[in-house]
Amino acid sequence: MLHDFEFRAPKTRAELLQVLADHGGLAKLMAGGTDVIVNLRAGAIKPRVVVDVKQVEGYGALAWSDAEGLVIRPATTINDLLRLPGLRERFPLLHACAHDLASYQIRNRATVIGNIVNASPCADMAPALLCLDARAVIASQAGEHEVPMREFITGVKRTVLLPGEVLDRVVVPAASAGARGGYAKLKRINGHDLGLVAVAVHKHDGELRVAVGSAAPTPVMVAGLGENDDAASVVAAARAVISPISDLRCTKEYREHMVGVYIRRLLREVA
Amino acid sequence: MMRITVTVNGQVYEREAPGHRTLLHFLRQDLGLTGAKEGCGAGECGACTVLLDGQAVNACLVLAPEVDGRRVDTVEGQAVDGKLSTIQDAFNRNHAVQCGFCTAGMLMSTQDLLSRQPKPRDDDIKEAIEGNFCRCTGYLQIIEAVRDASGRTDGKGGLKHA
Ligand SMILES: Cc1cc2nc3c(=O)[nH]c(=O)nc-3n(C[C@H](O)[C@H](O)[C@H](O)COP(=O)(O)OP(=O)(O)OC[C@H]3O[C@@H](n4cnc5c(N)ncnc54)[C@H](O)[C@@H]3O)c2cc1C
Ligand code: FES
Ligand code: FES
Repeated sequence: MLHDFEFRAPKTRAELLQVLADHGGLAKLMAGGTDVIVNLRAGAIKPRVVVDVKQVEGYGALAWSDAEGLVIRPATTINDLLRLPGLRERFPLLHACAHDLASYQIRNRATVIGNIVNASPCADMAPALLCLDARAVIASQAGEHEVPMREFITGVKRTVLLPGEVLDRVVVPAASAGARGGYAKLKRINGHDLGLVAVAVHKHDGELRVAVGSAAPTPVMVAGLGENDDAASVVAAARAVISPISDLRCTKEYREHMVGVYIRRLLREVA
Repeated sequence: MMRITVTVNGQVYEREAPGHRTLLHFLRQDLGLTGAKEGCGAGECGACTVLLDGQAVNACLVLAPEVDGRRVDTVEGQAVDGKLSTIQDAFNRNHAVQCGFCTAGMLMSTQDLLSRQPKPRDDDIKEAIEGNFCRCTGYLQIIEAVRDASGRTDGKGGLKHA
């Protein structure tokens, strides 16, 4: 049983921003609801108004263009992204991360933008969007502004978003298309599970990047490595930016060890 | 409170739906369609799987007002006039049902899969049911039943146990 709240599904962006302006911190945005409804059920959040973003005009569009790159809107689900023709060829890392997120049913509801705003240390879409230089375009009644993905997530479940703001779109620049990449996610079981630790490797224009999930308060990235750097120095560079903890699911030593194993494996696989 | 109109298994229903009612509770308590089960209530187990506009979703993670004007299909829609669907029949023949708690969800995930891919490979089958937990069968019979429903076996339910 969920607590009593009002449900709103605005049809235009102006209406959406008005609802947010009217209710401030008492409004909770919802996209696929796969984090929001779990939190409502657990009593972890008690909004007065739940605002569904999926019916806003234009929010279901997902498009690639040579000029703008890949533009991901708030109603784009993980499966919408996976079904986009040419995704795997242009952005293999984005494809790999999306495919590893949750279960098939969840991917039919879970959105890319919800995953990023939820800002879990294990958010599967974050490593790819960090490596690919994605940008977050934030909208409010005051207008729009842009933040690089690497500044968007600020802590465990924390982002730069303020009350009254919506993440209007995430743009993956066309310049990142064609980057090679791979993703490895450690789970307790073969089926769907949150990552114990996850590693993304990205190679583009002679540069090597490594992003690591579930090993620090936020997903983290090391950029500026050389494509031909030896594995030991890449592992050392990644270890220098992570700060894994021990929790219910595994120890920090295991996490740190597996980051090294996955980096070595992906460096061999991502030629 | 919102008044919603939703087509469930081809039948149109008009009902009051408070924002905080999940689709699962709406189906089970307001419409009396108790085929979809509540295992976890949190997206983990898939016992509540239904199709929303043809796509498999966890009904426990959908709010009832979201389905206004849309189409929902539940396991009650599979058998017609008491005759089991091809999928149900295949589950039956292949001993893919034990306690039955996961079955409605498995059947709906299979319906979604076969509508997208009439001849799925084993990897496609495993992906389609990765969000459906079964604590009884060990999954082999279920995978065999889906292969059977897609016409990939002789239909005699002959899973060979090692
Ligand atoms: C069983 C299960 C398994 C899961 N497995 C994984 C997994 O393997 N990997 C993983 O990364 N995640 C996993 N998740 C978490 C979740 O599914 C993802 O984080 C998902 O991408 C969230 O998207 P959503 O659309 O459902 O977000 P919602 O729940 O709708 O929203 C998430 C957050 O984003 C905010 N929000 C949504 N849209 C906007 C917007 N446009 N502007 C501003 N704020 C917004 C909401 O207010 C909320 O804080 C799992 C969840 C469940 C229930
Ligand atoms: S009851 Fe919905 S997934 Fe378990
Ligand atoms: S038959 Fe019992 S849970 Fe699957």
